[in-house]
Amino acid sequence: MKTANQPLLSLKGITKHFGSLTAVNGVDLDVCPGEIVVIIGPSGSGKSTLLRSINFLEEIEEGTIVFEGNEIGYVTSKHGRRHLDVPHKICALRSEIGMVFQHFNLFPHMTVLGNVMEGPLTVQKKSPEQAREIALDMLAKVGLSDKRDVYPATLSGGQKQRVAIARALAMRPKLMLFDEPTSALDPELIGEVFDTIRDLGKEGMTMIIVTHQMGFAKEMADRVIFMEKGAFVAQGTPEDFFANQMEHDRIKSFLNRIL
Amino acid sequence: MKFFTGRVVKRAILLFSCLLLLLASVCFAKDYDQLFTDANDAMAQGDLPAAIALLKKVEFEKGDESGAFVRSRMQIARLQFALKDMEQASSAAKEVLAVYPDNSEALNFLASVKQEQKPRYKVFIEDCLRFLPQLLKGAVMTITLVVCIILISPIGGLLIALGRISTFKPVSAICWFFIWLFRGTPLLLQLFFIYYGLPSLGITFKPFTAAILGLGLNYSAYLGEIIRGGIQSIEHGQMEAAKAIGMSYWQAMRRVIIPQTYKRLMPPIGNEFIALIKDTALVSTIAMVELMRSADQMFNAYFNVTALILAALIYLLFTTIFTFVFEKIEVRAGIYENR
Repeated sequence: MKTANQPLLSLKGITKHFGSLTAVNGVDLDVCPGEIVVIIGPSGSGKSTLLRSINFLEEIEEGTIVFEGNEIGYVTSKHGRRHLDVPHKICALRSEIGMVFQHFNLFPHMTVLGNVMEGPLTVQKKSPEQAREIALDMLAKVGLSDKRDVYPATLSGGQKQRVAIARALAMRPKLMLFDEPTSALDPELIGEVFDTIRDLGKEGMTMIIVTHQMGFAKEMADRVIFMEKGAFVAQGTPEDFFANQMEHDRIKSFLNRIL
Repeated sequence: MKFFTGRVVKRAILLFSCLLLLLASVCFAKDYDQLFTDANDAMAQGDLPAAIALLKKVEFEKGDESGAFVRSRMQIARLQFALKDMEQASSAAKEVLAVYPDNSEALNFLASVKQEQKPRYKVFIEDCLRFLPQLLKGAVMTITLVVCIILISPIGGLLIALGRISTFKPVSAICWFFIWLFRGTPLLLQLFFIYYGLPSLGITFKPFTAAILGLGLNYSAYLGEIIRGGIQSIEHGQMEAAKAIGMSYWQAMRRVIIPQTYKRLMPPIGNEFIALIKDTALVSTIAMVELMRSADQMFNAYFNVTALILAALIYLLFTTIFTFVFEKIEVRAGIYENR
């Protein structure tokens, strides 16, 4: 771990059901500033749901989310029922946490520059000039300055994902969530996206990454977590994880299937 | 006594001759009736020349204008007209005019024969010039209605669509009811209710207001369902991505979701607006003088089908322009999809 004072994000007892299915079952997780946490595990193990809960795209039934020392996102009504905080507060919280999706979800009706400007312009109410400046910076960071005036439909998958990263970064988030950022990409395009994420890591960005790319986990992660059936089964530094946890049967069989 | 007998005989002879005359005239008239009946039979069997030959037997005698002679000659004129023999048709009418120079039926007939002898296209052009001013006035009203509804109904439709997908149940229920009501009843009935029905509840509208209200509500309901479909067809990830950068629901709708529906909505909305052009004809029933009503008036006044053909051509012109414009808009709205 790079730093270890107060955690940036602290999850306690996060639980989420879909009907009778328990997607996330009492997960605890502390993420320190600058830390890169990689979560792996079979599909349906609750990784994505956990990630989406942090951004309030899923409403959790139990547990607390503490961000920068403050418990956020949920209030308890007079009748003792727990529900999401008022929309504008949720929006404000989301704008501090960037998220990148498996399917990019770029806005197809906006140019690349328009996509990246959208957050600063509409959410942060920056002037078009300021928003443009920020967006151009972010596009330069992901190496796509030359694509700023084209529509997303003309980009390759890798380029789309890098624009999506730039769009999230334009909000100057304190934490970045990556939900299988390379799962929808052709193998030869995965590298460019990981290069971008690697650069972010070098700048000290705090990140939680859900991925199936073990090579990337080994190289980039400060901590690797194996999740199954809504709970953390094992975690450790990459060296420790891939050296020792491999003994764990379920992890071994999962990794064998993946690699 | 002889004198007396002589007077009686004289009187009897006078009476008898009168009776005879009466009988003869009755017989004569009876003859013509039989003749007309025979002629009608011949016509019914499609043997027009035979009918003409029969009718020609009727001869002129002093009497009133609606008598057998005029009747027979005008009938001959019409039959010849039907047989396309304009010479004979005219001469039959002229026979009537020879004895009754002011007979309006014969005069009108000769005028229409003259019209008939002109080349068809000339007649058509003359009719067009006669009807166009009125029809164009009506067309202006039709376009005014269409433009008003095109401006009003997408706004109404968007509000209804947003209401329908609202998670706030009362709002979505009200919008559901609105759509259910206005899609489930005939537009004609809605117009009647607004214009003829509401006054009994003390609410009175001018025809134009009633027309705008009726068409506006109806088309808002239809567009509401179309727009709702458009919004819900946008991939869920778009809303999530918008929220993930901190947008509120309404910001996401306005900036991300609704703009993406434009291209998808153009074909169905274009369809609706083409239907609208034609549906405006329904407001002719609530005292609005628009294209359909003008055509109807012309048709009834002149019994001339050209008025209806012209109106149809004007409607076609409008719908063609609309089709073309909407195709252009659709291409422009989807410009980001071009590679």
